Amino acid sequence: MSTASVTPQTGTAPQPNPLETPRENPALTPALRVTRVVLIALGLAGLAWGAYVLLDTVKPARIPGIALWMGAAIVLHDAVISPLVFFCGILLRRAGDRTSGTVILVVQGALVVGSIMTLIVVPLLIAQSRGTGNPTVLPLDYGVNFAVFWGVLAVITAAASFGLYARGRKRLR
Amino acid sequence: MVQLIMRQVMYEAQRALASPVRNPRMATVIGRLLGLAFVLCFGTGLYSHFLQEPLPGMHFATRPELLYQFTQGTHIVAGIACFPLLLAKLYIVFPDLFQQPPVKSFLNFLERASIALFVGASLVQITIGLLNTYQWYPWPFPFRETHFALGWVLIGSLALHIGIKLPIIARVWRKNADDGSGDDDHLTDAVAHDRAATPEAVRLFGSSRPTGVTGRLLAWIDATPALRVERSRSSASGPDAPDSGAAPQTAAGTGSGPASGPTADPAAPARNSAAARNRLSRRGFLTTVGVSVGTVVVLTAGQTVAPLDSLNAFAPRKKGVGQQGVPVNRTSKQADVAADALAAGWVLTVAHAGVERSFSRAELLALPQTEVELPIACVEGWSQLARWRGVRLRDLADLVSADAEASFRLTSLEKKGGYRQTTMGSEYVRDPLTLVALELNGETLDLEHGYPARMIAPGRPGVLQTKWLSRIEAMDV
Ligand code: HEM
Repeated sequence: MSTASVTPQTGTAPQPNPLETPRENPALTPALRVTRVVLIALGLAGLAWGAYVLLDTVKPARIPGIALWMGAAIVLHDAVISPLVFFCGILLRRAGDRTSGTVILVVQGALVVGSIMTLIVVPLLIAQSRGTGNPTVLPLDYGVNFAVFWGVLAVITAAASFGLYARGRKRLR
Repeated sequence: MVQLIMRQVMYEAQRALASPVRNPRMATVIGRLLGLAFVLCFGTGLYSHFLQEPLPGMHFATRPELLYQFTQGTHIVAGIACFPLLLAKLYIVFPDLFQQPPVKSFLNFLERASIALFVGASLVQITIGLLNTYQWYPWPFPFRETHFALGWVLIGSLALHIGIKLPIIARVWRKNADDGSGDDDHLTDAVAHDRAATPEAVRLFGSSRPTGVTGRLLAWIDATPALRVERSRSSASGPDAPDSGAAPQTAAGTGSGPASGPTADPAAPARNSAAARNRLSRRGFLTTVGVSVGTVVVLTAGQTVAPLDSLNAFAPRKKGVGQQGVPVNRTSKQADVAADALAAGWVLTVAHAGVERSFSRAELLALPQTEVELPIACVEGWSQLARWRGVRLRDLADLVSADAEASFRLTSLEKKGGYRQTTMGSEYVRDPLTLVALELNGETLDLEHGYPARMIAPGRPGVLQTKWLSRIEAMDV
């Protein structure tokens, strides 16, 4: 995931990795070079302190669970969410055949907004269905709110798409 | 051979994932916002931590009264904002997962490992944080200790990451300063495209593209006309027209696929419209991220930000919902205190250096009463302003001649739990707003709010506003 590997280049010769040759990197002034060293040192210190705090306060038997959750989170993102987003993107791009570019962007954006809200609300609904033993926790009708949310999102998206579509037609004429 | 195929597959993955928003500039722009959110979370989190576990000699501000409501509200709001921001950031850099070769050097290996840790820890941190506010704990480890340690891991990873990427960040900044347009047209796929034409690949596959399923899939994608741009006429001559011939190409418009659509004309207009298209994509992306952040914040922040109360659709708490109009964190049942709290013989014991005085509720009510307006502000990010009435703690402290510098140990009727016994620093003990509260919003304190008597002090987390008080004791200075 290193953006260093995708820095611009003009020829086919590989760009030197800034990580490997910090001193020759033309992008860094001396002040930035110092900043860089300080940041890296502080970062390593923070990491080390975090690891120490973890080992100091969490029972050793619990640590594998944390590692498991971190690994699972990465797999869930890289192997499930990202491909899903990728294929939705392709479908939308294909649909681009028949619609204008801005409409696609609006629909795509609305789907993203809705999906992220869904990501936050689904665990809320699960937690509510499990019950908390405290009527003041999760007191709202989240299912209804969720339906209303998607409804409003759909209406706004449709209105915006139609507006853009109509504007595009007018301009073509 | 196998290596070459692997490389080609990885390259194809990168190329298929290429998009005008997946570039270093966008990574920097979103990264800046995400970094800010992380720093806000970390700072407010640390504050919350030290309020609960002060280092020796630590003292805290008791004003403004809304201080903790503000810091912890910020923690949860910035934390929720991390969801769209983190996902956006990961979306931008996702193709780099398929870097070729996967490991370039030992340092590169360390960097990639540190990023994996950063990503995994971030996702876990925001997930357990969010679920914690739902009071749902489906993980096999303790929340608070883990969340605290991961906070350090994250802030360390962030500094490390910025340090490592500083050349790229600096380049983006410099470019902004140079051309003022802020547009970076060097895209991930521009690099991938160059690499595509490696002689081996051409020799091996006959073209720069694999055959079979992957090839057909990519051809299918490429056959799609690129996004049409209604605004191409105006923007092509606009101030942010492309500054170089290195026009970016979306995956949809690259390669040997027929670059169709209304804009596939002679070179210059095609370049301009490709640039306009990409600019549109980037604007769309930024708008989407902005709207996402706005949406998740506006629909949840009402649990602490009063003006947003009417838009509170998805927060775990609702202002005004609870006994006497105040939400409850731990119920009397969960704390198993009802029998003791309602017992006729209840007294509050105030102690200092061997002197002990006990007060029944009636005796407490007979002492001078003070009314204050203070919020109850929970670690979970909700808050509720309320009117409290009771005896000033400093008056009780004076009755047992406690030292002005003395901290107090507060004990609840709760039988167990981390907050059964807590310590209150002298700055709170001596504050005129700190009460042993007996009434809430004009009524006798409800059992759920700590009847017969509870603490209320300015600027402290709710878990330290001890309910069902049984003993308060001055500690040695
Ligand atoms: C990456 C961002 C985050 C960082 C760096 C961070 C850091 C921290 C820290 C250092 C604490 C203090 C822990 C302690 O008292 O020992 C804390 C507490 C807390 N955080 Fe976060 N946090 C982040 C994100 C979140 C999110 C997204 C949520 C929820 C939406 C959240 C919810 C909480 C809660 C509820 C507490 C109170 C824990 C308690 O005292 O019981 N955090 N956070």
